[in-house]
Amino acid sequence: MTTAKTDEAAAGEAPAPPAGPRERARQRRRAARRRGGGWWPYVFLAPWFVGLFGLTVYPMLDSLYLSFTDFDLLTPAKWIGAQNYTHMFSNDPVFWDSVHATLLYVLVSVPLKLALALGVAILLNRPLKGIGVYRAAFYLPSLLGGAVAIAIVWRQVFGGDGLFNDFLGWFGIKGQDWISSPDTSVYTLILLAVWQFGTPMVIFLAGLKQLPEDVYEAAAIDGAGTLTRFFRITLPLLTPIVFFNLILQIVDGFKTFTPAYVVSNGTGGPLNSTMLYSLYLYKKGFTDLQMGYASALAWVLFLVIAGFTAVNFVAGRYWVHYDD
Amino acid sequence: MGHQISRRTLFRTVSGLAVAGALGPALTACAGGTGAGSDNGSLTMTWWGSDERHAAYKKALAAFEKNNPKIKTETRYSGYDGYFDKFNTQIAGGSAPDLLQMDTALVAQYARKGILAPLDSYVGKSLDLTGFSKTLLAAGTVDGKLYGVPSGIGVNQLTVNRTGLEKLGLKLPDREWTWNDLKKIATEVRKKSGGTIYGVDDGGGSTLQCFEIFAREKGQPFFSDDGRKLGFTADTLQEWWEFWAAMRKDDASPPPAITSAAHNDLTKNAVVIGKALFTFDSGVYGAGGSITDVQLDFLPTPQGDFSGAREGNFVNGGVLLSATKASKKIADSVKIMDFFAQDPTAIKDMQLLRGIPPTEKARSLISAGLNETDRRNMAMADYISQRVSKATDALPAPVPPPKGADQIWDLLFQSNLAVAFGKKTIKAQLSEFFDQAQSILAG
Repeated sequence: MTTAKTDEAAAGEAPAPPAGPRERARQRRRAARRRGGGWWPYVFLAPWFVGLFGLTVYPMLDSLYLSFTDFDLLTPAKWIGAQNYTHMFSNDPVFWDSVHATLLYVLVSVPLKLALALGVAILLNRPLKGIGVYRAAFYLPSLLGGAVAIAIVWRQVFGGDGLFNDFLGWFGIKGQDWISSPDTSVYTLILLAVWQFGTPMVIFLAGLKQLPEDVYEAAAIDGAGTLTRFFRITLPLLTPIVFFNLILQIVDGFKTFTPAYVVSNGTGGPLNSTMLYSLYLYKKGFTDLQMGYASALAWVLFLVIAGFTAVNFVAGRYWVHYDD
Repeated sequence: MGHQISRRTLFRTVSGLAVAGALGPALTACAGGTGAGSDNGSLTMTWWGSDERHAAYKKALAAFEKNNPKIKTETRYSGYDGYFDKFNTQIAGGSAPDLLQMDTALVAQYARKGILAPLDSYVGKSLDLTGFSKTLLAAGTVDGKLYGVPSGIGVNQLTVNRTGLEKLGLKLPDREWTWNDLKKIATEVRKKSGGTIYGVDDGGGSTLQCFEIFAREKGQPFFSDDGRKLGFTADTLQEWWEFWAAMRKDDASPPPAITSAAHNDLTKNAVVIGKALFTFDSGVYGAGGSITDVQLDFLPTPQGDFSGAREGNFVNGGVLLSATKASKKIADSVKIMDFFAQDPTAIKDMQLLRGIPPTEKARSLISAGLNETDRRNMAMADYISQRVSKATDALPAPVPPPKGADQIWDLLFQSNLAVAFGKKTIKAQLSEFFDQAQSILAG
């Protein structure tokens, strides 16, 4: 312990801080202030701070408050405690329908999408002629993916008299209305999600480019076949990328809104089979005018995604391999 | 080697951002407050409808502005989808329109929340409602005050593909027909078409044009007078669902996939896609202009042939014009309402695009210029409103639907679908329906 208080800046503070890294940082800051550049960085950061607090932090806190109220958007919010949350879990069958649809959607579409993305990335990681064109072609669906137009096309393709049934007709199979039958409708959404595998594919491709050639050469000399090389070298080395894509796609999957809204015409039907969570949240807030309830739904979604992410990070310790 | 990806480089850059960025929008979608109308000099007016209706509104408004050069209007219009979602957001954001087209089914909800301006102080002064019947004005009246000027008579009728019926050698049923007659002709359509066309679209989940009338025939309104309960019994709904289950079994009505596809999508309506000849969805014609090429005709919703049945039909207000309370231009908005209610130019421009005109005077003004289908539509509306006003055993017109009504209508639709898809028995779905409806109306 030293009591090396120097100037007036620290004079008012008690008890005296221990000297060490913290004290040194302090001195650096004071030095910076003396040089006259102390507040400039904050001026340049101001727009970001305004955005962070005005558009993210404040609305989040506001929505947390609203989640404990009965708020219809039009008249002032009324505090009702945890009622929104208890109602959700005990007395709202549509909530459970939406949870079911969303979990099914995420748990089926994400693994399929990642497997397809990795497979195509490996195929596209070759010195082929015109490889750029192929890569662009495979990425294209993702560029269009979020667009309402594609979801509308999807409705036409998988409708009762749509292209997909025409295609099945070539093989003598009589199709059905895939969109408006409760057993298949969510799978058309899953298919749409899997089809848009471009983003994880590009990330996989970038990862594959970084894998060391020499390891493969050594393996080839030892007589390792294609499959062995994939499972013993490529996949283990790529686990950080797989992990990253997994987190990203799960978060994305939970938030999916546009395709469900468009394909089901905003109804989430038939029988709530395409009532993805975000769609239900939107309907509650803007159609049924239950914004307090919608805010509560948003916070439950937030916690669920945070939970999934946390579990992934913990589980990741056992299968993700890093260099450092 | 150092070729591998390190934890730091990967996560420092992306993961935190991705999670935060991803969740932000979901959570921040929910801020709000209440606010007032626009204030940039011109009066904003919104409506929903078909292209024909948009054109007619704009033409009429141009004439209005010519006569009232001090009032400038700024118009916004769209389809029905999302119209009220947008309106809600605008109110919350303080940019609601001054004058808007309002849905009869929703006027009570907005009036009671204090969004709409009461119009009583203008009536007889700048708002001339001569010729509007009391029952019609009831559509815009909530708790004794007038909040909307009805644009036309709304009646509950079926739209019929007349061409298709003639092709099968079948005759249009009599206007005094029963639910059993409907079943008979729908079955015949199926038979005569060689099993290619169903008769009538599935009405088991339809509310306004359909089940509500069936229940009223038994003296049971859809909602109780105070709006806190359902007005009909489980027996009534059971009988209704059993009727439609039988219709589906006989292929008189289409399977649920077709019904479900048409939910919120008029272009997939069974009559529009040629899969049925009768539909309860008035939108096929009523939104102003037909969306199919076939010749259409109209019939009142059938009457009950069950014991104790009485007149279940009623007349409502079609669409309405309402002013928002926060607007600073209510007086100007009222002038425009008056113009659409009484001015010959506006009446002729709008024709049937906002429903059958509400006054005798307006109807005679346009009747000469109507096409064949429009004339049939108007004649049937005339017939129904006369029959309803003559009926001695009819219930009074329904009370304005309570808060949560649209959730209950949706619940009815989904319940019928669950039965039709075979996911639930009628008995099981009945108790679920009543449980949930009760919880919606109580909350």
